[in-house]
Amino acid sequence: MRFHIVKRDNGPFWQRCCYYVVAVVAALAVGAIILASIGVNPFEYYYKMFTMGTVGNKIAYKTFMNYLKEFVPLVLTSVALSLAFKMRFWNIGGEGQFIMGAIASAWVAFQFGAYLPMAVTLIFMCLAAMLAAGIYGLVVGALKVKFGTNETLMTLMLNYVALYVLYFIGETKADWNFFLQADSARPVFESFAEIAQFPSFSLGGKFELNITVILTVIIGVLVFFYLKYTKQGYEIGVVGDSANTAKYAGMKVNKIVLRTVFLSAALIGLASAFKVGTSGVLSTSVTNDVGWTGIIVAWLAKLSTPMIFVVSMLICVLQHGSTVAAVSFSQVDSSFANMLQGVILFLVLVADFFVRFRIVRVKKGGND
Amino acid sequence: MKKFIALFLAALMLVSFAACDSSDDAKADFKVGAIYINSKNDTAGYTFAHHSGITEAMEQLGLDVEKQLFIVDEVPEDKERVLAAIDTLVGQGVDIIFGISFGYIDAMEEAATKYPDVIFSHGTGYKSNETNFNNYFGRAYQARYLSGIAAGLKSLETGNNNVGYVAAYGTEYAETASGINGFALGVQAVNPDAKVYVKKLGAWADEVNESAFAKELINSFGCGIIAQHCDSAQPQIAAQGANVFGCGYNSDMTPDAPKAHLTAAIWNWDVYYKTAMETAMGCEASEFVTKMGTPAYYGGLKENFVDVSPLSENCVAGTEDAIKKVRELIVKGEWDVFSGVKLSVTVADGVATVTKADADLKDNAGNVIVAAGGASVEDGVITGTMNYYVAGVQEA
Repeated sequence: MRFHIVKRDNGPFWQRCCYYVVAVVAALAVGAIILASIGVNPFEYYYKMFTMGTVGNKIAYKTFMNYLKEFVPLVLTSVALSLAFKMRFWNIGGEGQFIMGAIASAWVAFQFGAYLPMAVTLIFMCLAAMLAAGIYGLVVGALKVKFGTNETLMTLMLNYVALYVLYFIGETKADWNFFLQADSARPVFESFAEIAQFPSFSLGGKFELNITVILTVIIGVLVFFYLKYTKQGYEIGVVGDSANTAKYAGMKVNKIVLRTVFLSAALIGLASAFKVGTSGVLSTSVTNDVGWTGIIVAWLAKLSTPMIFVVSMLICVLQHGSTVAAVSFSQVDSSFANMLQGVILFLVLVADFFVRFRIVRVKKGGND
Repeated sequence: MKKFIALFLAALMLVSFAACDSSDDAKADFKVGAIYINSKNDTAGYTFAHHSGITEAMEQLGLDVEKQLFIVDEVPEDKERVLAAIDTLVGQGVDIIFGISFGYIDAMEEAATKYPDVIFSHGTGYKSNETNFNNYFGRAYQARYLSGIAAGLKSLETGNNNVGYVAAYGTEYAETASGINGFALGVQAVNPDAKVYVKKLGAWADEVNESAFAKELINSFGCGIIAQHCDSAQPQIAAQGANVFGCGYNSDMTPDAPKAHLTAAIWNWDVYYKTAMETAMGCEASEFVTKMGTPAYYGGLKENFVDVSPLSENCVAGTEDAIKKVRELIVKGEWDVFSGVKLSVTVADGVATVTKADADLKDNAGNVIVAAGGASVEDGVITGTMNYYVAGVQEA
């Protein structure tokens, strides 16, 4: 008995949706089995997870605010990565670009925050972060264009360079190091929340919406139109499908690559400026892994900008909700969220496979 | 009249029952929150030590760990993430939040102002306020001094004056410097010729180098005893592999290296956690610091907050007696480690003699830190600014 993999015609939209829903349900079922095996009631756990523990919570508005703080950097990073991925430029360097942006925006806050009006400082922080992250990405783009280096390896390795730069800043007590508190015997990052912090608006009640959330949505819309309706957006798609075709059509491929890589990395820088501009402090875990998770989100969303927003929302519910749910179950630690995320991703990819292909049994002697 | 007395007694009983009721209620409603740097399911290491302390304390107080303990674990030292973890715990209605990692310091300070009805208690930190925010740490140097006595006696027996010390950091942190110095002074009380060689990891936990550095101290510096200030038992295992001896840290490491380990300086975190929870249950959040008596809990041998683990069979006869006698001096408050009074410990036929003598406490560059006969250096120095090694200690 033999099997063949056969490409499937694109089924109707609802059918494809069904596959994905089945995949997520199956992943949750796997999670439920694991939960039950360590003596946790899965229904109780999932209830807490999907409601993020807000039911019967006196400060539920805080949960939503913290949720959005996780959501903004993730969705923006993922949107940025999707720009490069559309061009088949494998930017695995989200973490490093995010860190470089974060350091640059903190630098601006410390150097100029005390003299400039807050709004101006914040704008400069965004620009500095975009520039720093953009250049950090552009270097890799230039090397690829000039010498044909592998961008996957380059961006990947530069992540660790950036991370260790951040560690160095975070652990080195010295006179030059204005990033750290001067009066603490141990190295602790200094806060700049008082001189540079993105404002929040009250929407009635105690819930406050941070301006970065609104900006992120606007940027999402802009990127959507950029990709769909502009010449540059079209070029990205053509280069992604075939660089030679693009060349033949008279496009300047190198220029498009460099421009897009810079834009992708700069948007990641903006995400980091939003992050540190909200928290008002650096940290060695400032990225919260968005450079990695953003890749997962971009692929789960099939690089569609609106879908990236939807998937980011769901992944954040999963991440934030699991942490909250784990609080009241002594057997479950927060690593469980990571594992469940892995299972979901794996099964969604399996579903994705079955959307595009089907497996056909080939009878002995029969022709396929 | 009898009726009246009966009525009175009945009323009294009612009142007292009511009182009992309310305190039981306070107990049943009491919720403990904790923020950990690693997983609550760890089976060794720093987070494990605290988690065990919290759960033991709750059991001693009759609290239900399953229902009354709320933990956010694997929280990095990132202010925003710590604040989010605090929001989560406050949302669950906890009465007290323990944060065990130093880097939580600013988040806890900010949250203490934001949530005045909740008590914040920060391990290893130094910040506090006058109402609902304190910090806690212990005199580990006292326990290390006692383990140093065990090491010193062993060095006399083996005739090897070189003692190694695998440390997370050296003079960069008062915590590590005071531990190294406390241990070295304990060794020197027995063996004045002993030298302590310190090898720094540059990280609080690094299992590979913990083992490698111990081996280097043994092979290149001829050390016959390996002490440590790091997370795992690797240095003790390395000592056993090289047929030398060692003093562990954090937990009794005799099971890890039964042929090498002498005794370990250990923490009894439950001592503090029990005191803190008991106090918190009996007062408003705003009274917590007043009721605790100090914003910076700093327990030592006296409170049984730090100790040495049971001595192994590898210890020299008389070690037990020597440690007992020195411990008594410390517990009674008659003497402390970093003072201008030096102890000399000698053992003959399993009986220890401890004598006091005034002597300068000097650093390893020859500067006098405490003049002969002077009082102990201040706690603030031991926890915050001790950035030197005492004489006889050098970095390897």
